[in-house]
Amino acid sequence: MRVKLGEVLLATGFVGLMVTLYLAFNWAPSVNIEAFESPEAQRIFYWHVPAAWAAFIAFAVLFIGSAMWMFKRSPTGWKLHVAGSEAGLACGLMAVWSGCVWGAAEWGTPWDWEDYRLNTFGLLTLLALFLVLGRQSQPDGVESRDTFSTFGLYGFVLVPLTYVATRIWVIRHPGPVIAGDEDSSISGDMALVLMIGALSFTILIIGHILTSMEITKFEQRLERLQKQLDGE
Amino acid sequence: MDDITYLSIAYLGMIFGIAIWTWTVVSRSRILERRITAMEDSLNIDSKPIDSIAATNDADEE
Repeated sequence: MRVKLGEVLLATGFVGLMVTLYLAFNWAPSVNIEAFESPEAQRIFYWHVPAAWAAFIAFAVLFIGSAMWMFKRSPTGWKLHVAGSEAGLACGLMAVWSGCVWGAAEWGTPWDWEDYRLNTFGLLTLLALFLVLGRQSQPDGVESRDTFSTFGLYGFVLVPLTYVATRIWVIRHPGPVIAGDEDSSISGDMALVLMIGALSFTILIIGHILTSMEITKFEQRLERLQKQLDGE
Repeated sequence: MDDITYLSIAYLGMIFGIAIWTWTVVSRSRILERRITAMEDSLNIDSKPIDSIAATNDADEE
């Protein structure tokens, strides 16, 4: 069986995540124990931030795909929409789950309903869940694609809102450590592990998007073959 | 349960989740490809990868 680029990227990204995990536990420096309730739980940051970053990439792909379908009726656009929503759901759940784990250890509660960042990101993940489940429960057609693409287009508004949420409304979620204000910084070793994590998640998400687009292509071919068999 | 044990369980859960997700995607792709090849071979059909919904929509607009 020939080796596919998507599968190679998935495997590479997965190995990168293992390396990130190892470095996060064994190599990354500990944080100031005075500054945190649960200093060791902070190590989940090397997973949480890259997962959220990958989710933003997936939501951007979802937006581009939705726009291509809505305005150009592009088959590639629809494949991007499908791949973006699935990848966005997976990475969104990773970010939400890791955030809840850290919140439970550090804040004493896994979720804060008053924090803007948490809730806008949670809504984005729910949007991806709606698109994935909705597509599976509806027959494929122009109307259903238009409806899901509209959600993909308007839902993207939540991405910049989520991005600026910790810059404007600092409630409970920590502020940005990179590209934030002049007080935001992390040590070189921490930044390196974070970068390896972000790179690994990016490779994994690109691999997933390519493989998912291929699956959509196969499903369409199969449907077409079935129609030929049925004599339509 | 100490911090590191708690964190290890959380990390392992996520790695396990990603591994299952990755495996599901790859195996779904391979199964579909095998089914298509088998159908095309047995029926002597060479189907081109066309999105029938987009094609139908284009035809309707014309």
